[in-house]
Amino acid sequence: MYTIEHAIAGYFFLLLIVRILSRRAGGQLTLAEFVFVFLIGGIVILATVGDDRSMTNCVCGVITVALLHRLISGLKARFPGFGAVVDGTPLVLLKNGQWQLESMHKAHVDDQDVMAAARGKGLRRLDEIKYAVLERNGSISIIKTGG
Amino acid sequence: MAAKPETKPVEDTVARVNNEVAVGEDLEFQRKWWRFENAVWVVLTIVLILDLLGAFGRGYLAKAEAHATDGSIRVKYEKIERFKTPSIMTVELGPGAVHDGKVNLWTSENLVTKLGSQRVIPEPLVSVVGNGGTLYTFQAARNPISVEFALEPGGIGLYDLSLGVQGLERLKLKIYVVP
Repeated sequence: MYTIEHAIAGYFFLLLIVRILSRRAGGQLTLAEFVFVFLIGGIVILATVGDDRSMTNCVCGVITVALLHRLISGLKARFPGFGAVVDGTPLVLLKNGQWQLESMHKAHVDDQDVMAAARGKGLRRLDEIKYAVLERNGSISIIKTGG
Repeated sequence: MAAKPETKPVEDTVARVNNEVAVGEDLEFQRKWWRFENAVWVVLTIVLILDLLGAFGRGYLAKAEAHATDGSIRVKYEKIERFKTPSIMTVELGPGAVHDGKVNLWTSENLVTKLGSQRVIPEPLVSVVGNGGTLYTFQAARNPISVEFALEPGGIGLYDLSLGVQGLERLKLKIYVVP
């Protein structure tokens, strides 16, 4: 019971923390973000299992988190508004040669990130980009000019 | 006969940018979310500051001291404890607490049942359970006598704790155990 309650609390707390961080925490993991994800996971697991290290307790904890994840996924598919709260909405970063500064600043994305995504598409210059969109999973989609 | 797969015609349901790219951006929602994010960061910062001060135990605000007016007992304890986290409660017994070279210290049962008293240092000569608590008898070899209770609370909530030298004034403490 203890583990199930703590697993539920830990799941929603981590979901909130990851959600209010810049979006890239769930997308393109940098080394620092990689460290962050493992560290917070490790800290929460201590409070989740407590001093009961039995197989039963661990299995129940894993099942709780898995069921919660399935429930959240189901709610996201059924209610788009809920999906927007959990995952956010896509953000246009560059539109017709104009940086969308409000979105870039709030999402902590700069032109280097956009150019990195553009290079992945085989583009060599920023002016070859018509639209750059920060997706819900943290990746940046590029639409070429004239495309 | 196999059931027909469920289908639905494609509709233009994803909001477009400049009426040409279906992105689904919702800047109004995003602005509200950014305001919420800022509010959450403020709350989290306040939580961290309160934690550093000891409002959730193990800090300056959590430490407390109580003593009997007759000087028989003084207790240094944490009025805010943490669930399943070890701490030490120190009881100092004055000269008035000693009778025939011994001290009889009574503690209410919450010390063991709720606050998880794990051990007593020094070890008492005798400990008797009953009357809603435990009566410990210590050898009084020196003055003042200091007794330490190693606590590890096993429950969450506000608990009353009474303790005192048998026949003298009893202290009534309130200890809050946070999750």
